[in-house]
Amino acid sequence: MSYRIDRRQFAKLAAAVAAGAVLSNTAGAAEAFRLGALNSITGAGGAYGPGMLEAIQIAVAEVNAAGGAAGRQFELFAEDDQTKPDAAVLAVKKLVEINRVEAVVGIWPSSVQLATLPITNAANVPSFNVCGAPELETLDDKDLVFQFYASNKVIGAVFAEVAKKRGFKNPAVLAYNNATMVAQAENFRSTWEAGGGEVADFIVYEPNQTSYRTELDRALSKNPDILVLSSYTPDVTIILKEWYQSGYDCKLISPGWSITQAVADALGPEVSAQATTISNVPASSTEAYKAFHEAFVARTGRQPEMFATAAYDMVIVLALAIELAGASAKGTEISAKIRNVTNAPGNKVSTFAEGLAALKRGEEIDYEGASSPLEFGEAGQTTPAFGIFGFEDNKLALQEVMTLKS
Amino acid sequence: MDWINITNAAINGIVLGLLLALPALAVTLVFGIARFPHAAVGDYMTFGAYTAILVQSFMSASLVAAALIASAATAFLSLFFYAWVFRSLSQRSPVSSLIASIGVAFAVRSVITFFAGQSQYVIEAPLVRAWNFSGVRILPTDLYVAATAVLALAAVFFMLHFTAFGRRMRAVADNPELAAASGIRVREVMITLSVIVGAFCGLGGMLMGFKAVVLPELGWELILPIFASVILGGIGSPVGAVCGMILFGISQEIASLYVGASYKLVLAFVVLLLVLLIRPQGMFGKIIAVR
Repeated sequence: MSYRIDRRQFAKLAAAVAAGAVLSNTAGAAEAFRLGALNSITGAGGAYGPGMLEAIQIAVAEVNAAGGAAGRQFELFAEDDQTKPDAAVLAVKKLVEINRVEAVVGIWPSSVQLATLPITNAANVPSFNVCGAPELETLDDKDLVFQFYASNKVIGAVFAEVAKKRGFKNPAVLAYNNATMVAQAENFRSTWEAGGGEVADFIVYEPNQTSYRTELDRALSKNPDILVLSSYTPDVTIILKEWYQSGYDCKLISPGWSITQAVADALGPEVSAQATTISNVPASSTEAYKAFHEAFVARTGRQPEMFATAAYDMVIVLALAIELAGASAKGTEISAKIRNVTNAPGNKVSTFAEGLAALKRGEEIDYEGASSPLEFGEAGQTTPAFGIFGFEDNKLALQEVMTLKS
Repeated sequence: MDWINITNAAINGIVLGLLLALPALAVTLVFGIARFPHAAVGDYMTFGAYTAILVQSFMSASLVAAALIASAATAFLSLFFYAWVFRSLSQRSPVSSLIASIGVAFAVRSVITFFAGQSQYVIEAPLVRAWNFSGVRILPTDLYVAATAVLALAAVFFMLHFTAFGRRMRAVADNPELAAASGIRVREVMITLSVIVGAFCGLGGMLMGFKAVVLPELGWELILPIFASVILGGIGSPVGAVCGMILFGISQEIASLYVGASYKLVLAFVVLLLVLLIRPQGMFGKIIAVR
């Protein structure tokens, strides 16, 4: 008997909720903008994902406090992609098909963006990431994908600039065999050779091996003065162990996600002292960064890093583009306005509220982000400033900041 | 390529081969005695490596202690799965046991990932420079790894060929019914086999983690070369498994000097094909007449 009563109660409740929803809609406010956050909370990206989600929440609160984008409040739906493409596909399907989100922000690994791109593009949903895979530039045929972190091609070129500036003559390259890292290494080689240098050896190695000694011996037999390691953490840990044990003396350069503080902790100062790593760094002198930094520290008690800063910018940029495109704009109509609000020329703005006011006055704006000036190229790519890091007493330390012309 | 590079590559191949000979021997013993290809050996290795990490972080930094406890824990794990899964499947077709072993592999890996996550761990050991003999480099670490593997292999060979228990194992391998009829307790042999499989995989996994880094896929990635070298050596032949693995290791490392390093596994398989073309039964395999 109780079962029947429950069902009736449920029906009443459901009716009440439905009525409430209808009433609130008719009450005047525009429909909320459903925003999906797809972050790597667990897995290899777990060091960055949680911070990125916090940054997204900060930005959503900022947009909503200013009255929303084109009058629409942001409603956030968050999912964990586990840094795995298969889990990401399930998560993004849930976001797009069940939560009916109209944009996805916060994607960290290229593998996830490459796997979810067909789904979001088919659903006309913009997706913003911090990936570096060069193939994203060609795969996105609807101009819905925007990269807030430098492409690996550019990182390869920066390796060459840094190596040249520091007076190295004979680099040898070891590259992890996937499209992204090989592209990074190839771009190092072409930039280096364009500058008149020669590459001692160029070795593409197979991932998931337990020893890279033969590949390494082959590179070292050419007497390089610097090893360019287009690599990830697991393989670079083995390579560095074997490199140190070989007794060969040279310097090392790698992307920032490869020789990390954890690698230095595992291998010790004698190894890490030889390493230089390159990562994008936030635009720390801008007003936008200062405001975001304050909000992030207040909320989490931690310093924001580059990926969190970029995640914050994703939401602000999206909100400004929606404001410009209008409350009823969808997918490509929104993404078509992104360059209008971020790229020069225009009045420089640093916060959503400033941008909103300027757009309402009918001005052109140029949002100077917390992560970078955000000048998006034709393929939705951007080039933030690069930090050149070294290890001092086995602690990662910023040595120099370098900007490239985009 | 000069001889120094080739020597270095060969040394590297021998060390890797000796290390992987531990799980390869386990595979070939299981195949000879329990008659199914055991696909969970790779993940038993992973389990051994993670046990070593656990020992290092909570008990002692000693590598010897880590190796012993890793072997013992993995032996226990192998025994557990024998009692739970493989014992009841022993009367069925080998395919059931093979499929079950794949399931065990997934289960072990998923449980490890659940507790330890996807990120990498490193077995702590002091990094030492190699001894350099005018270009030919020998790593002290590699010597320890190779010596441990050789000792373990020698112990099993001694047991198989010079003890009464080894004779019983070989008898069960030849014909389980006949062995049982002659009063050999088959279950006792199976239990010992499970312990050897576990201990060898645990030790192999710990040594692998010591040389490389510890990740949930550590052992699973090695299954293909291990199975290939068991076939190369002759299925069911313990000497064959060890020699097959070493030949596989050397050919893979030397190959990477001549072709792109990404193709080294392919060249190792070319060697496998060539050997099997000349000796289809493998290097040490026996031709079995089918009645």
